[in-house]
Amino acid sequence: MDECQSAIPAHDGDLHVVAAAHHIVKALGTTKNLSDDLRKILIDLDAHLSLITSNIDSKGGKGFVEVEERLKRVERKIVIWESDRIMIWDSGPKEASDYLEAVDEVQTLIDSLRGLSMNENQKQKELLHRASSLLQMAMSRLEEELIHMLVKHKQQSEPTYIPSPSSQRNVVYNESVVSLDNESAKEASSKNSCSDECGEYIVDLVPEHVIPDIKSIAKVMFASDYGQEFCEAFIGVRKEALEQHFDILENGKLSIEDLLKMEWCSLSTEMNKWTWSMKIIFGVYLMSEKRLCDQVLGEFGSVNSFCFLEIAKTTILCLLNFGEAIAMGPQEPEKLLRLLDMYETLADLVIDIDALFSEDGGSFVRLEFHKLLEGLADSVKAAFNAFGVAVSSNGSLYPFPGGGVHPLSKYVMNYISMFPEYCSTLNLLFEDQHSDVASLVSEPQCGPTASLSTSCPMACHLRSITSSLESNLHKKSKLYKDEALQHIFLMNNLHYMVQKVKGSELRPFFGDEWIRKHNAKFQQHEMNYERVTWSSVVLLLKDDNPGSSSLSKSAFKEKCKGFSIAFEEVYKNQTSWCIPDPQLREDLRISTSLKVVHAYRTFLGRNPAHVDDKCIKHTVEDVEKLLLDLFEGSPRSLRNSRRMMKT
Amino acid sequence: MDTQEQELEDIELFQKHVSDRFTELSSPPEDDALLSVSWLHRLLDVFLCCEAEFEAILIMDRDPSQLSKPPFDRLIPEFIERAVKALDICNAVANGVDSVRHCQKLSEIVISALDQNPLGDGHAKRAKKALLMLLSAMNLDDKEGTHVKATERSWSFGRRGVNKEQIAGHFRSLSWQVAKNWSSAKQIQSMIYNLVAPRGAEASGLPSPIYTMNVIMIFVMWALVAAIPCQERNGLPTHFPVPKQLNWAHSLIGLQEKIADEWKKKEKKGMSGLLDELQKMEKLAQSLIDFTDSFHFPGDAEKVKEAAVNVSELKEIFGRMDQGLTPLQMHIREVFHRIVRSRTEFLDVLEKGSAPVL
Repeated sequence: MDECQSAIPAHDGDLHVVAAAHHIVKALGTTKNLSDDLRKILIDLDAHLSLITSNIDSKGGKGFVEVEERLKRVERKIVIWESDRIMIWDSGPKEASDYLEAVDEVQTLIDSLRGLSMNENQKQKELLHRASSLLQMAMSRLEEELIHMLVKHKQQSEPTYIPSPSSQRNVVYNESVVSLDNESAKEASSKNSCSDECGEYIVDLVPEHVIPDIKSIAKVMFASDYGQEFCEAFIGVRKEALEQHFDILENGKLSIEDLLKMEWCSLSTEMNKWTWSMKIIFGVYLMSEKRLCDQVLGEFGSVNSFCFLEIAKTTILCLLNFGEAIAMGPQEPEKLLRLLDMYETLADLVIDIDALFSEDGGSFVRLEFHKLLEGLADSVKAAFNAFGVAVSSNGSLYPFPGGGVHPLSKYVMNYISMFPEYCSTLNLLFEDQHSDVASLVSEPQCGPTASLSTSCPMACHLRSITSSLESNLHKKSKLYKDEALQHIFLMNNLHYMVQKVKGSELRPFFGDEWIRKHNAKFQQHEMNYERVTWSSVVLLLKDDNPGSSSLSKSAFKEKCKGFSIAFEEVYKNQTSWCIPDPQLREDLRISTSLKVVHAYRTFLGRNPAHVDDKCIKHTVEDVEKLLLDLFEGSPRSLRNSRRMMKT
Repeated sequence: MDTQEQELEDIELFQKHVSDRFTELSSPPEDDALLSVSWLHRLLDVFLCCEAEFEAILIMDRDPSQLSKPPFDRLIPEFIERAVKALDICNAVANGVDSVRHCQKLSEIVISALDQNPLGDGHAKRAKKALLMLLSAMNLDDKEGTHVKATERSWSFGRRGVNKEQIAGHFRSLSWQVAKNWSSAKQIQSMIYNLVAPRGAEASGLPSPIYTMNVIMIFVMWALVAAIPCQERNGLPTHFPVPKQLNWAHSLIGLQEKIADEWKKKEKKGMSGLLDELQKMEKLAQSLIDFTDSFHFPGDAEKVKEAAVNVSELKEIFGRMDQGLTPLQMHIREVFHRIVRSRTEFLDVLEKGSAPVL
């Protein structure tokens, strides 16, 4: 109805047309069951026709009498609020709708006055001027009301479900994890546990009941060409609200320079915060904000997407910048899990981002985040490679004391046991590299035991990592002068690797074949150890002349002494060696015992005549007991233990 | 021709190109005033071209180990460090462009309000309101805590005045996005630090284009910061330690001095940015606000005519901003990505030549 151009008809004939039209409108107005819209249209039309009629009826100034009357009436309604400190919308729905009606009336009057041809009519100009000023006053007021409404209700709608960042489990994987046993390492798993809990979640950023009020203001302001002011006000308040939410998430605003120099502990925290913030901002706030913009501004063309973009821009650029800084940085192995979290989060959100910014104005947002996703993918790959390099190039100058499980083995196995959680992502990222790596891995997984999980890209990469670890361990073992210790060391570490694989989510990726092979490996080292250590000792007790009777006294004494010395030597050396795994330790003791004790007993048994001789330093029971001291990790010498045994 | 000679030729060509490009920038056509939106576009293009040539000379077909030896083991990491600082400036400036776009939006309201015939009191009031916000947005003293200044102003029209929350909200965003202590002036300062022209034998070898590229990068970033409002530009250095006898540098130095002069003039008054369109907009806004202040329907015919002229000029500026600002942001992003890529390339080269990496 706003476009209704009423022009002063020049002829009497037109007068009849107008009268007839007026009559029809009045007749229609009495119809029952008119819809509200239709009724409104008829009322407007009635008003316009009245205006025309009243203008035609008189010439010059008098014709505007009715218009002036209406203007005066509506002026009162609007001006009265100017001296009032109370907000209209706070006063009640009737006051609000009355005010809006008044503004509507002003606009109608302006349209009609404009529609009449400008006859240099002074009165008309004056009235038009008055009406425009009144309109501006009303629009200014509406703007204030809008801001007041938005601010008032913004504060009341803080969602309470957002956990504080400090409640996030935030464990940094560094060397300290090496000392954790299996259980607590699992607990310290750094993956963001909320990934499944937080999908899309739309909240009412502004209470539901306020929306119609905002819409009604929007309608009126846009109808009067004050839409720009509406948008300015709306964007201003909503933007600040969004930024406040973002501030609560405690993302430090850090420059790229600072981020590149930041030490790992803090950086890990920031990356965690980013991952969480992305989910909250995109998954919750922006989805809700978009809905709000659509609700309020949906009927005004592309304004809603423009406003949404303006509201969201600064916040999303902040998030983008951080992501880019991370993707730029040196990709060290310890960053891998955090990078995976970031990548996965963004990969999940990218669909939402595309939907939120689907029009032209938002295309750069889509592009930039897609670019970031690629950058993060590259970062993950780089970090993984760095990890592999770190594993193979980890050098030692000195042999690891005691021959126990090397920290490198612990680090690697604990670290990779966290990878299966990211299986699908890693497989996706490693798809192209798959064929290269599979050929590098020396243990092809084929045959009946090969399955999908053991042949997937991640599995191949994992096996190549453990392969590197093995090679490195072999190198480290060469640092030991004592060959027996070399075998103990390798036995310990390979056993540890197998245990880790068996006892974690790594199992399906390594497969039974791998486990069997590696069991065989460490068992081989077990046997080698025994051979190297005890063969010569046992040899001393061997019967040179089988079949003959007992040895001569001097020969016996000789053998006894030889055995004691050799045994004590082994005892002195190997009590300081370490076999951390109790089961393995037990196994080795038993098998050693079987060999050595048996040989000794046989030896002594073959020479019963000399049994009471003082040259026998140790009884069989002594030997048995002493063997238990081996591999405890604390060095002993026999003098001590002798004294202890005697008391 | 052996590689040594070829290299010298390439360097010479590079520096000639640099000189030519900056000479072109120095004498812009009518429409393209110094530090206008379109001039900035050209500046960024110049940067991208120079950078591409620079990378070609330094990296293409070159044995990486060459760049790991002195003096490159110091020069390249320094360049990379400056590049990182430039990245932060790119982000700050791109953010600053948003505040210029805000000014553009406000000027649109002014235009809508005053582009009326006949002009009424209501229109003038509407325009005045928008003009006040526009002038505040432009005279944004871009320090942290900038909303303090905003509330100091007297918003004395209407009984309640303009909603302070709304104003503060807009003004906050400039400093909101960056770290509290970050200062664009200090950033430029630290980029200039330790910038020393190569001397003696180095002046005719590879160190020379490295120095050139450093200077270009610093100049471009500096010009952007001077033009576009961004955080804490107080103390922006106005002097570059570039020796005048360098052939390729003449036009660049000339430009720098011109811009520095403008900066010094305006610095005392406190201002938004040297962006040509912003400067013009500010002048127009000042005269228009005087007009709206003193306007009473039907108004002085002369003044109304004058105002109409101002409005049409404002329309023109609005048009230029409307066309050029968002592309400018995109352009800055392009520069950003290029610098990131360049940094990665140089880091790779250093790694391959197995030098200690930053």
